[in-house]
Amino acid sequence: MTEFIQYLVSGVALGGVYALVALGFVVIYRASQVFNFAHGELLAFGALTMVWMTSPAVSEEDMLAIGAPEVSGLGMPWFAALPIALAATGILAALVERVALRPLVGRPVFVSIIITLFIGALLRTAMILIYGAGAMPLATPWDPMGQFNVGGAVLDYTSAAIIAASAIALLAFFALLRFSRLGIAMRATSSDQETALALGIPVGRVFAATWIIAGAFAALAGVCVAVRDPYVDATTGFIALRAFPAVIVGGLESPTGAVLAGVLLGVAEVMTAGYLNDALGDMGRNFHIVMPYLLMIVVLIVKPYGLLGQRKVERL
Amino acid sequence: MPTRKLVTRYEDDLALFPDRYHKLGVVAGVVILGLFPFLAGAYGLTVAHAGMIAVVGAIGMMILTGFCGQVSLGHAAFLALGAYTVAILGGTFGWPFWLALPVGGLVAAGVGLLVGPFALRLEGLYLAIVTVGLLFLVDHLLRNGLDIAYGKDYLTVPMHGWFVDDPSGLGGFRDDGLLSGAQKLYFLFLALVLGTAYVSKNVQRSRTGRAMMAVRDRDLAAEVLGVDAARTKFVAFGLSSFFAGIAGGMYAFAHPIVTLEPFGLTMSVGYIAMVVLGGAGTTFGAVWGALAFTLLLPLCEVAGEHLPFPDAFSSENRAVILFYPALCLFLVFEPLGILGIWLRIKRYFMAWPFRY
Repeated sequence: MTEFIQYLVSGVALGGVYALVALGFVVIYRASQVFNFAHGELLAFGALTMVWMTSPAVSEEDMLAIGAPEVSGLGMPWFAALPIALAATGILAALVERVALRPLVGRPVFVSIIITLFIGALLRTAMILIYGAGAMPLATPWDPMGQFNVGGAVLDYTSAAIIAASAIALLAFFALLRFSRLGIAMRATSSDQETALALGIPVGRVFAATWIIAGAFAALAGVCVAVRDPYVDATTGFIALRAFPAVIVGGLESPTGAVLAGVLLGVAEVMTAGYLNDALGDMGRNFHIVMPYLLMIVVLIVKPYGLLGQRKVERL
Repeated sequence: MPTRKLVTRYEDDLALFPDRYHKLGVVAGVVILGLFPFLAGAYGLTVAHAGMIAVVGAIGMMILTGFCGQVSLGHAAFLALGAYTVAILGGTFGWPFWLALPVGGLVAAGVGLLVGPFALRLEGLYLAIVTVGLLFLVDHLLRNGLDIAYGKDYLTVPMHGWFVDDPSGLGGFRDDGLLSGAQKLYFLFLALVLGTAYVSKNVQRSRTGRAMMAVRDRDLAAEVLGVDAARTKFVAFGLSSFFAGIAGGMYAFAHPIVTLEPFGLTMSVGYIAMVVLGGAGTTFGAVWGALAFTLLLPLCEVAGEHLPFPDAFSSENRAVILFYPALCLFLVFEPLGILGIWLRIKRYFMAWPFRY
C-alpha cells in the first residue's frame, strides 16, 4: 500500500508537468488551430534561461580553473529569475506566432505542422549556439534532499513544489479564462474568429496574449522538469513528445481535459514503470514510455475526439 | 511554341508523354541517368543511392499526404519495418534480394493497413499524433524484439556485400569487370524508382487517384458524391506504406548495418518536408523534392564547415541552421514548392514572346 501511494504521488508530480505542457498545446490550438510542435523547445528555452539567470557569475579565470561544465550566469535570486524566464519564453512564443505562423493562416494543416517542427529544430540548434550543448544543473531554492511524510509515503520537496506550482498555474489560468476580459475575448476568438473580429475584439492581440500565456506555461513546465532531473540541455524539450498523448486523450480543444488526462497519464506511466515493466520480461524494458501512447490509441478507438473534445459537426 | 497538342483521340489523352517535348525530355533523361554511374565517382554514386531511396519514400508519402491529404508522422516507422524485414530475411534466412524486397514492402503495407481504421475515424492533427505514437511503438517493438531474438541492437545486411566490392561479401553480384557493385545497385535502384514513379503517376490518373483527391479536398463532400472515403483512405495507407517499406529495403541494401537510430521523427519530418518542398499533390513534386532535399542537406553541411560556428556544433546542427530557415521561407513564399517554380518557367516559355 505504501508503495502504491508512493507511485501515486510521483505519478501526480509527473502528471502535473504533463498537464502544464498539454495545456500549452491546447491553449494555442484553441486560439489559432495550430498544433505547436515547437512547444518542447520553448520549454527547454525557459529552463535554460532560468539556469543561466540563476547560476552564479563565474569569472573567466575561474572558469578555466574549474573546467568547462560550469555555467557563468547572472547570479540572480531564484524567485526573481522565475518570472523573467516565464516572460522571456512567452515573448519568444508570441514572436514565433507573429513571424512564422500568421502568414500561413488558411493553408493546409500539414504546412503548420511542418513549419512548427522546423522552428522547433531551429530553436534547438539556436539554443546549442547560445547556451552550449552540455547539460547544465538548475539549483533549487529548497533543500533538494528534503522530504515530508504523507500517510506512510515519502514526498520530497521537489515533487511537492512541482505539484503546487502546476496547481497554482492551472487555477490562475482557469480563473483568467472564466472571469477576466482577456479570458472572455480568448473564448470568443476560439469559438469564432470572424465574429469576434466583427464584434471589435482585437483578434491579433488575443493571439499574442494566448501565445505569451502558452510560452509561460512551457517555461514553467521546463523549470519543473529541470528541478526534477537536475540537468537540462537543449534536448530537454523532447519531453513534450511524451505529453502528446495527454493532449489527445483530453481532447484538443479542452483545457480541463488536458489537465485531467495529463495527471491520469502521469500516474499511469509511473504505475506501469513500477508494476508492469518487470512483469513483461524483456519486452517490458522502457515499456512505461510507450504506455501513454497505447492508452491514447485505446481512448481514440472509443472516443475519436478524446475524453472532453468537441465532436466536429460538418456542414456542406 | 504550341501550348498543347490538340487532343483528337482517347489514346492521346492517355499517353504519359503526350508531345514532342515530353519525348525529348524522356530521351535526355535516359541518356543522363544511363551515363551517370559511369561518369560519377564513388561519392557521387553514394549520393545517388541516397537520393533514389528518398525518391521512393517521398512518393509513398506523396500518395498519402499529397494525394489523399492524410498527414502521417509515422512514415519512418514503415521504412524501419521494411529495412528490418529485408535484413532479417536476408541475414537469417538467406533469402535473395529480389524476394526479400517485396516482402519487406508487404510487411510495411500490412502494418499500414492496421493504422487504416484510425484514419477512418480521426482527422488532421489527431491522426498526425497517433502516427507519432505508431513511431514510438514500432521503435519499442523492434528495439526489444531484436534484443530478445539476436541479443544486439543492429542487424547486418548481406545484400550490401553483394553489391559493394567487398571481398568478404557473400558471393553473387560483385564486380565482374562489366559493372561495379555500386553501379549495379544504382541500376537496381533506378529500376525501382522508375517503377514507383510509374505506379504513382498512374494511380494519380486513375479512378482511385481521383477518389483520393476528392477525399483530400473535402472527405464529406466526396462521400456525398459516392466516393467510398473509407476504402480510399485504406488504399492510400496501404500503397504509401508499401512504398515506404520498399524504400526501407533499399536503405538496407545501401548500408552494411541497419540500426534504429536514423528511423526517427526527424526522418518522418524530412519526408513531409520533401513533399511540401517539391509541391504537394504531384509525382513530379515528390521526385524533385526528394532530390533537392538529399542534395541540399549535405551541401549545407559542407558550407557550414566554412562558417564561424562554435566547436560544439555538429555538422547536423550546421545544416539545420542553414537549411531550415530556407525551407521555412520557401513554405511561406512559394506554396507550390519546386513545382510552382517549374510551372512559372514553363508558362514563361509557352507564352513567348509575350510576357504576362
